[in-house]
Amino acid sequence: MTVVALVIVLVALVAHTAGQIFLKHAMASSNNETGFRSRAVAIPFAIGIVLMTTQFFLVLGLLQRYDLSFIYPFQGLGVIIITLTAGITLREKLSLQLMIGSLLISFGVVLVSMT
Amino acid sequence: METETRPTGLRNPWLHLAISVICVAIYELLLKRGAAETANPNSSWSWTGLTGLGSIYVWIAIVFVIVSLITWLYVLRYLPLSVAFPVSQSVHVLVPLGSWLILGENIVTLRWIGIALVSLGLAIVAKPVARLEEEL
Repeated sequence: MTVVALVIVLVALVAHTAGQIFLKHAMASSNNETGFRSRAVAIPFAIGIVLMTTQFFLVLGLLQRYDLSFIYPFQGLGVIIITLTAGITLREKLSLQLMIGSLLISFGVVLVSMT
Repeated sequence: METETRPTGLRNPWLHLAISVICVAIYELLLKRGAAETANPNSSWSWTGLTGLGSIYVWIAIVFVIVSLITWLYVLRYLPLSVAFPVSQSVHVLVPLGSWLILGENIVTLRWIGIALVSLGLAIVAKPVARLEEEL
């Protein structure tokens, strides 16, 4: 793996994490009356979509060079990173059970992808 | 954050999570095909992934991306991200299983162990949530 590939993998991971947080934030602020017209929803939603699109194309670029299995270890790490980030930035309740489960999923995905 | 009551039946967010996960599994397989078809490491644009748009597989994949995104947004409205995201990663069990069934790819022992770990983690994450749902 080259340095460029590593940087792109990391940028994709950060974009994915931030994108999910923004989308969740937008959807949590939405309600049936204002929907997407409210700025509190539209702005984080737009940022989330831009980040997710960036991530999509970066992963597509990586897939052109590496196996399907190459990208997944990093997406595996994404599980625990996104769970922790959601706990910190969105103040979601992180139970011990949730943390253990997320760690197992993270580790399992890394194993599946590395083999 | 969970002030709204969760809808049931066809509007059940867990159903939408399942649809989203299936769409992700399909588009990841399509993307790999499309990426393999358009791979050209000599092109200076290739790191952006935009060259992938030359493949029909990538365009079909994008349709599935959009469906998965819409259902995912619906899921996010009702479920905490810290629960929904780990559950959505069951896709990484579906993709190797799909490759095994459809593409005839081999699954080595270590990979089966990983699949088992993901499944166990899923059960642990989903269990307290399922109990909570029953109480509601």
